[in-house]
Amino acid sequence: MKLQFDESVEAFRAEFLGWLDENRPPVEEMQTDPLRSSAYIPEWSRTFTQRMFDDGWLVPGWPPERGGRNAGPIETLVYMEELSRARLPRTANPQGLGIIAPSLLDYGTEEQIEQYAMPLLRAEIAACLGMSEPDAGSDLANLKTRAVLDGDNYVLNGQKVWTSGAGYADFCFLFCRTNPDAPKHKGISIILMPMDTPGVTVRPLKEIVAPEFPDLAEVFLDDVVLPASNIVGDVNNGWAMAGGSLAHERSMVWLMGVMNIESAMVELLEVAPTRLANLPIEERAVAADALVGSHIDAVAARCLGYRGFARYVKSGSAPEQALMKAYTSEARRDLVRLAAELFGPDALQAATGRYGATGSLDAYFESFGTTISAGSSEIQRNIIAERVLGLPRG
Amino acid sequence: MDLELSDDQFELRDNIRTVLEGACPPSVVRAIHDGDGTADELWAQMVELYWPALGVPEAAGGLGFGFVEVGLLAEELGRAAAPGPLLAVVSQYVPMLVEVGDAELLATAASGERVGALAFAEQGRWTTDAIGSSASNADGEWRVSGTKAMVLGGEYADVFAFVARADAGIGVFLVDAADAAVTVPGSIDPGIGLADVACADTPARLLIGPGPAAEAALDLVAQAAAAAMALHTVGACRRIFEVTLEYAKVREQYDRVIGSFQALKHRFADMFLAVERANAVGYYAALAIAEEDVDRSSAVSTAKAAAGECQRLIAEDGLQLHGGIGYTWENDLHFLLKRAKAGDILCGSTAFHRAQLARHLGLIEASS
Repeated sequence: MKLQFDESVEAFRAEFLGWLDENRPPVEEMQTDPLRSSAYIPEWSRTFTQRMFDDGWLVPGWPPERGGRNAGPIETLVYMEELSRARLPRTANPQGLGIIAPSLLDYGTEEQIEQYAMPLLRAEIAACLGMSEPDAGSDLANLKTRAVLDGDNYVLNGQKVWTSGAGYADFCFLFCRTNPDAPKHKGISIILMPMDTPGVTVRPLKEIVAPEFPDLAEVFLDDVVLPASNIVGDVNNGWAMAGGSLAHERSMVWLMGVMNIESAMVELLEVAPTRLANLPIEERAVAADALVGSHIDAVAARCLGYRGFARYVKSGSAPEQALMKAYTSEARRDLVRLAAELFGPDALQAATGRYGATGSLDAYFESFGTTISAGSSEIQRNIIAERVLGLPRG
Repeated sequence: MDLELSDDQFELRDNIRTVLEGACPPSVVRAIHDGDGTADELWAQMVELYWPALGVPEAAGGLGFGFVEVGLLAEELGRAAAPGPLLAVVSQYVPMLVEVGDAELLATAASGERVGALAFAEQGRWTTDAIGSSASNADGEWRVSGTKAMVLGGEYADVFAFVARADAGIGVFLVDAADAAVTVPGSIDPGIGLADVACADTPARLLIGPGPAAEAALDLVAQAAAAAMALHTVGACRRIFEVTLEYAKVREQYDRVIGSFQALKHRFADMFLAVERANAVGYYAALAIAEEDVDRSSAVSTAKAAAGECQRLIAEDGLQLHGGIGYTWENDLHFLLKRAKAGDILCGSTAFHRAQLARHLGLIEASS
């Protein structure tokens, strides 16, 4: 155990900070054309991602030809710390970079890597993840979208829902049923679907915040014809690959959760003392104690997350992994709520980033995005109880 | 930053756990609670294994381990709800002597020759401003007066490090237990030797102070005591969690084990998080103490508050999910429930440490 990182790790951090200084996107451009969807790539973000790719800072753990520098996991951790502190998104298309590109690199053909994965990494194109359906939310294995082989092509029919970024994405990493007769988990495949393929209809779903920038969408597939060569990996092996894809995401999501709650706490502590100073002493004590609760959450998230990360690096698994998603997303929700309450009636103003990430009720309602999506908190608790604690399935 | 225990630390923990499983099974704890047993034999074994010497510097005849290792010992003692003076010695008395720098006293503490306890808190408060006990010097001889309630390990102590206020400020004094009035008021957890210590013009030897040096030393000692108590509490909580989980896997109602009900599964998931969370923060605090980090005070208060939150959830759900059987004296659960609750209350309550954090974070000013 030690509190400091090794000197070599700190040198790595300093090198990255130096690079960030030179390559940071202009603030005015970020404000004029903000991120508005998980697949809309503003020009400043494209440039930033491409520079990261070219200079080996996009995925530091990967080799240079894939946008990295063969960095170790601890280096990757401090890299993420600094990106978070700088409040800079390394990509405008998190599913593309975090899940789809790595899955294609693992399971895709050379053509698929050339045509889809590399342009994704260079932010030339964006992708969306077609998993959820009306009857397959948490229960992905229940998905019904059919893909029927017809000569060299598959013909797809069905519907996806909650597809983040579908309105802006260039292609979809789509889960579909290729064998309706096999057991649920064994008849699923992954296919790459360009979003401009005839028969694809995207209907945006306005969310409870920022309805002018819908991110979620329904995607309807009506006799969509795709070449069989667009299948990723082996046919009917989609379920196993989904496990692999999400594992890529989890190790990152888990640290991002820690970074997110820490940076939200930092932002809150920047404004809290002034706000509290306006309150009568009794009210101040009550409000301050609630904020202390969030501080404990943030410190604990870091301790648990970093310890889990060390275990993960050492042995490839850590029980903390299962805990972190529900914990950090719920703790952040609580923190953002407290911040809004602290802002009083000011929090009621429809925010357009006026108070930054914290202090607006928009931020509070937006925070439910992370407790609901990517395996809701309830599903996370089932997973912990059954897979980590060994309680029997009910 | 590496918040994972090293292989050596895991090995030390496993060794301690194995010893305690053999030497301190629930039957030993039960005998104490039933009033027909003592901790003497267990203490003798601990002394033989040099456990009191764990955090004593090598120069003073100790093993010279850091505070993370002391934390490991505190956690395992909590897990076993172990009776005896060891927690008080390693987490309060020895840290006090280390600040004083008295090699001779440290040597007698390390060897188990003399059992010491720290008589600090008054009205349950671990701050020097709460000290009402007084010290006076006449012709070079110190005498102390005052009462300390619920001193950890006081029942077993041969000597006390007694905190009192002199004209020049706060000082710490060595008082022989034979010269003080030590009464055991009876406690819901008879295993930790809580005792009231009353001094009235009792002869004493000055250890440090009186003045700012003693205040600064007591700050550090209070942090060590609180961090160790946090881990001790978490140790008891983890064991409550484990036995409750085991029970939920075998107890059947409505033709299925109760652990298969989703209402319980979600509670177990929350309990697991509470334990892991408090454990991770507890070792962060222990590490901050070991490395004399600038954030140590804040880390300790975070750890003690997290341990308190953990204790409330685990003890309440642990008892509740056991149902009627957990409510009986015959079941071993209550030893752990009582130890965990004692740990939550001692060395600064959750409210105390949360208020400390509010000050650290600049959310409220210190009251004058």
